Amino acid sequence: MSKGAARVGIGGPVGSGKTALLEALIPRLKARGVDLAVITNDLVTHEDAERLRRANLLDPSRVLAVEAGACPHTVIREDPTLNMEAADSLDRAFPGLQLILIESGGDNLASTFSLDLVDYWLFVIDVAGGDDIPRKRGPGILQCDLLVINKVDLHEHVGVDLPRMLEEAKAVRAGRPIVCTNCRKGDGVDQVADAICHAVLFQDA
Amino acid sequence: MTSQLCHIERIIGDRAEPGLAHRLHHLAHEGRVETVTVAVADLPRRRFRAVTDQGTECAIALPRDTRLFDGAVLLLEDDRAIVVKVGEQEWLKLRPAEGFALELGYLAGNLHWRVRFADGHLLVAVDVPRERYLARIEEHLAAGRVTLVDG
Repeated sequence: MSKGAARVGIGGPVGSGKTALLEALIPRLKARGVDLAVITNDLVTHEDAERLRRANLLDPSRVLAVEAGACPHTVIREDPTLNMEAADSLDRAFPGLQLILIESGGDNLASTFSLDLVDYWLFVIDVAGGDDIPRKRGPGILQCDLLVINKVDLHEHVGVDLPRMLEEAKAVRAGRPIVCTNCRKGDGVDQVADAICHAVLFQDA
Repeated sequence: MTSQLCHIERIIGDRAEPGLAHRLHHLAHEGRVETVTVAVADLPRRRFRAVTDQGTECAIALPRDTRLFDGAVLLLEDDRAIVVKVGEQEWLKLRPAEGFALELGYLAGNLHWRVRFADGHLLVAVDVPRERYLARIEEHLAAGRVTLVDG
């Protein structure tokens, strides 16, 4: 078996901006010459895959959908077979593929990825979810390789003390990396792309 | 920076294999066997960066059907070798009071802890600071429903 493409997971609560991050990441990674594909996970639909296909960011054949049919973490952690098969099929279909981004369905703070499925994973939270989220020390926040705090532009509107939220996130993650983003405007997304390229493609900007 | 990376894309074998052991023995005498330490929780990873004990930066990208293990030889050259050392796994040893074993087992499963069972004890793999596990069973420890054994 060949080593295939690098596999990167994107998890996080419902509405935190996982798909928005994908939409912002894809053109940036393509601009760096990365040959990529995407797998989305939804509960009982292909909604996120359809959203990405409609956005025309990638050839539609490079966007696969997995229906979890149950709690989203079951197909990225307990039994990730469906996602592994989808990733294997992308490796077979696109021999030069370098990177597969696997978006989990929206879940809770306990959601984590199996390292049998991914090589590296991101957890996306957002300021509108409340600045106490890092303090709650969910496994997703503690164990992910990169924590993304999204929608930072909203912090004043939702009464969130962003510097304190960041400090608490740093404290619970013991120095592991954190990036602040505003995916709608693209702020911070290059840093996320840098982190992925560095960690699993072994490329530095 | 990238040009200095040592790219590793396969496991050559186990350091205990006679043919490899002989060559590694000679290299070790000259201080040319480098070690990459991998935490137990990170063993399933196939692609990651690592730095050996002698400062060599490695870009490891293994086939999907490969799994790292203690003693895996990643590089074997005339003047250098790189071998995996797996970090020690710490365990929390918990003893449930009579009648509380089922509930403790349920709790551990609900919290997605990695566990083993031995002699009526529940062993919990310590993948994050141990205080975080103890905080989850604080009430049970205080009430004597669970006892932390060996520290």
